[in-house]
Amino acid sequence: MSVKFVPVQWTANKWVYDAVLLACVAGYILVFIRVGTPLADTTRPVDGAIVRMRAYGSCAFFMLTFILCIGPLARLDQRFLPLLYNRRHFGVLTAVVAAVHAFYVLGWYYAFSPTDAYEALLTANTSFDRLIGFPFEMLGLLALSILAILAATSHDFWLAFLTAPVWKRLHLLIYVAYAAAVAHVALGALQDTTNPAFGALVVGGALLVVGLHLVARGGGQAARGTEIFVADVDAFVDGRAIVVPIGGDERAAVFRNGAALSAVSNACAHQNGPLGEGRIIDGCITCPWHGFQYRPEDGRSPAPFTERIPTYNLRLDGARVLLDTRANPPGTAVAPLPLPDGRP
Amino acid sequence: MGATLVDVAWLYGAVGLGVAALFLVFGVGRVMESARGAFLFRPLLVPGIMLLWPVVLWRWAALERGARVDLRAHRPPLRAQAVLAAVLAVVVPLVLGVALIARQDGPAEAPAIRLDTPS
Repeated sequence: MSVKFVPVQWTANKWVYDAVLLACVAGYILVFIRVGTPLADTTRPVDGAIVRMRAYGSCAFFMLTFILCIGPLARLDQRFLPLLYNRRHFGVLTAVVAAVHAFYVLGWYYAFSPTDAYEALLTANTSFDRLIGFPFEMLGLLALSILAILAATSHDFWLAFLTAPVWKRLHLLIYVAYAAAVAHVALGALQDTTNPAFGALVVGGALLVVGLHLVARGGGQAARGTEIFVADVDAFVDGRAIVVPIGGDERAAVFRNGAALSAVSNACAHQNGPLGEGRIIDGCITCPWHGFQYRPEDGRSPAPFTERIPTYNLRLDGARVLLDTRANPPGTAVAPLPLPDGRP
Repeated sequence: MGATLVDVAWLYGAVGLGVAALFLVFGVGRVMESARGAFLFRPLLVPGIMLLWPVVLWRWAALERGARVDLRAHRPPLRAQAVLAAVLAVVVPLVLGVALIARQDGPAEAPAIRLDTPS
């Protein structure tokens, strides 16, 4: 949460996250080159330049695979949430590593002719009508272009400027980038690799991404009518929420704060993080993704912050908690619903 | 064709650079309250503006006309994400399977022979 935009909102956790990330990437590339280079000389079909481009290319692919696993993993088990806190830096670094791979490719396969390297990339192979020999470089270019757009729009400014739903839709292109990257590797490196471990890692990683997304997908059935049943009052845990789908893309999070209940939108105004998976800290609903906070009773961030989320009206029917699915405008105050019999 | 595409890309980027200069000097402070008096973060926006300058111009104009910044901020595209994940679940195994089936192994009947290094 920030009153004015800053270049990077550093925290101690982010420093540690980035340090571990950089160490892992540097370690992977160094080991790949260290192991691969002695095997590569001019008498073999793979030389040092190709080893380097494969080191960066495979690193970018595995980083992208890991990034796409973080979301569903965090949804399945909250112990993975720390991986999610700084995922944007992970994404930016992935784009950089992929760009280094591309520059090695341009500087080797397209550098020794009078034709401009970029022009040669676009025209050297146009066999789009065949599978073996398909210009898989175009798939890599598509993936890299998307990664570049996502990295370039990762600053919080873009969230506020484009609005979170537009920004989120733009960043859903990550799935298109991943499909293109899988096809790029499958029709490129997998076609001539003699290393079964590499093939197994690529196929296993891609299927892991798919499997985790299928396992972790949430319910999103549409609600009927304007009032829906949330849960019995006994089901609520102090400081935690129960999330209910209320139709379309919307979900509401009903929090118990001491002896009262309040309902807000499940989507954080920052990055649409799942507020209902967070908890109440210092009297405020705290987003599990980046710690943005909102007061349960009116959905407003405490001063000096200005974020607001919609609230919902609740009522009791005996021990049943009912929610009116018509959202109040963001920041609308709603009196908390007291639990019956003054339950603690 | 290739040369034309490269020229168009350079032109697109050059226009984007001009839009970035205009927006970051004159526009961003007018339409974004959190950007007023904040300057260090602005160079970080240049690549994004160069890539998405038509969107930036559209959004800049909308905000100048008074559009709300937090419009529909509570409606994440959950259905779109679910659809894309489902499409990925079909496309990825299909692409990998087809690529591995079509893969041609090396010429085992005539393996490569290492030539002597010239003395």
